[in-house]
Amino acid sequence: MIRLQNINKTYFGAQPLHVLKGINLHVEEGEMVSIMGASGSGKSTLLNILGILDNYDSGDYHLNGKLVKDLSENEAADVRNRTIGFIFQSFNLIPFKTAMENVALPLYYQNVSRKKRNQLAMDYLERFGLKEWADHYPNELSGGQKQRVSMARALVTQPKVILADEPTGALDSKTSAEVMQILREVHQTGITMVIVTHERGIALRTDKIIHLKDGVIENIETNDPGLIDFNTEIK
Amino acid sequence: MDFWREIFMALSRNKLRTFLTGFAISWGIFILIVLLAAGNGIVNAVSEEFSDQSKNVYSLYGGETSIPFKGHGTNRNIWFNDKDIRFLETEAKHVDLVSPFIYTGGFAYYGDKSCNVTLNGVRPVYHSISNTDLLKGRLLNELDEKNSEKVTVIDEALQKHLFDEGTAPIGQFIIVNGIAYKVVGVYEGDPNSSGGSALVPFSTLKKITHQSDYWMLRFTTKGLETKEDNEAYTEYLRTQLAHLHEFDPDDRSAVYIRSNMEEYLQAMKIFNTLELFIWIIGFAMLASGIVGVSNIMRITVKERTNEIGIRKALGAKSRSILASIVTESMLITTIFGYLGMWLGMVVAEVAGNILKTVQESKTIQLNIVPTVDIRIVLMATVLLIVCGVLAGFFPARNAVRIKPIEAMNYR
Repeated sequence: MIRLQNINKTYFGAQPLHVLKGINLHVEEGEMVSIMGASGSGKSTLLNILGILDNYDSGDYHLNGKLVKDLSENEAADVRNRTIGFIFQSFNLIPFKTAMENVALPLYYQNVSRKKRNQLAMDYLERFGLKEWADHYPNELSGGQKQRVSMARALVTQPKVILADEPTGALDSKTSAEVMQILREVHQTGITMVIVTHERGIALRTDKIIHLKDGVIENIETNDPGLIDFNTEIK
Repeated sequence: MDFWREIFMALSRNKLRTFLTGFAISWGIFILIVLLAAGNGIVNAVSEEFSDQSKNVYSLYGGETSIPFKGHGTNRNIWFNDKDIRFLETEAKHVDLVSPFIYTGGFAYYGDKSCNVTLNGVRPVYHSISNTDLLKGRLLNELDEKNSEKVTVIDEALQKHLFDEGTAPIGQFIIVNGIAYKVVGVYEGDPNSSGGSALVPFSTLKKITHQSDYWMLRFTTKGLETKEDNEAYTEYLRTQLAHLHEFDPDDRSAVYIRSNMEEYLQAMKIFNTLELFIWIIGFAMLASGIVGVSNIMRITVKERTNEIGIRKALGAKSRSILASIVTESMLITTIFGYLGMWLGMVVAEVAGNILKTVQESKTIQLNIVPTVDIRIVLMATVLLIVCGVLAGFFPARNAVRIKPIEAMNYR
């Protein structure tokens, strides 16, 4: 599903910063992997490149069998819209839209009719236990609720890949465990998932842990599928 | 349909932002219009003060020849007649309004009172040539002239001599040289003249006095803007009149040509300076309006950079984001711009009416009536709207151009 070959990325600021130094990575369809690393290790940059939110300098990135390189703005928007679902640490909900409108928004850009997209959005909210909160604005929701809304939004387009950047970073440990439980369930439906985290408790709940250090993959740790740890304290 | 629903939702859910943006635009246009109106008011007041000099008026007086010419001897009287009027009206260059002037003297009677009077026969256009200051009633009109009506507009002096304090002169008949004239109006007249004066239709007085030679012709010109123009024009007139009346073009005493060129040129200078002043103020106002409107639009769009980033991450195309932002700003600027324009014009109008009432009660002398030119107002409004939209467009374009992750993390 995701294939990275020798990906390099440098930020050209006052001091050029070589963030990713030749990343080779393969994520199979239906896999759930986590990326761990200290801050500055390049894990967020890697996720942004996977999500086509940022570009890379050299190498090849194949997503769902398609080379993602030098895409036009519109092509990139289309790939993001149809193939990828995003979950962000800070939720990134639009403050003046209700929970339901936020969830329905990606479908608006697919020109799905209003009635249909609201119906779909309600279905997903219901699935995450937020039916009663559909008409609430983000600032009326708790952190866990917000993250569930953003998960519903990520899933509503039925993407191939879910990319999550520190999805529990702004949540307490109990809520974090709930969120991970949901992500795990979502994964059971066959969606490929990449989660960036610096919390081992989160990483232990995925199939594979990719350790990133100073822009290179240090090692890949495989969790025994039978022994996925749901009990370790997250924080 | 969906597109518009999104727009209206974005506007109504962000009431404060919509209001502040709109208010900035309304206020900019409102202030612009009110100040333009005030400026125009001052110009109008000054114009009124200088209205006597606001026209280039030429007066031709008949004289006596002093040089023999084509078999004619000297000391021949030159009078004007209908041929001269036709010449001025049809052939002569730069002529605007023409009125001949004849007069007759006599006594005016009303009841048991009488007074020395000069009756002046003039065409209705004479009022605008000489700026008759009407105090009561009406001026002479084309119908009076056409039907040779026996009507008269008397001056204040004559009114004082003939009518008691309590008597309204309008509609009364006064008798001059055995003929009754109905008084239709009173004008200010010359306060220094000892006797009274009255204006009657030219055709009426011509018939009564059987005059076919006229002592004076008076007309206004247009397109003579410098002293040189006017001097050349005087020579031109003399040559043409010399041809019509067969006198030597070099004969200085055959006809007398007078004009208020000096005063006129001076008044024009004042007007031009004032007009320039108003334009400068207007442009300064417009510029500050544009800066204000542009700034608020720029800030609003900057504020939305995060939202733009989120929308892009979710798969929005740059074009669709740009389209909605530009449509939103157009909607806000147009609606609030129109509102500001409307309010500005209402305030100018109301202020004008209040000032008029105050002036009628004669508590202030300066005649300030604020007016606005609807075309200028519309142009200024449209310009502000266009600038506001453009000011929103460029930062919006920049925001959709940067990478979505940068837009999302923008602070």
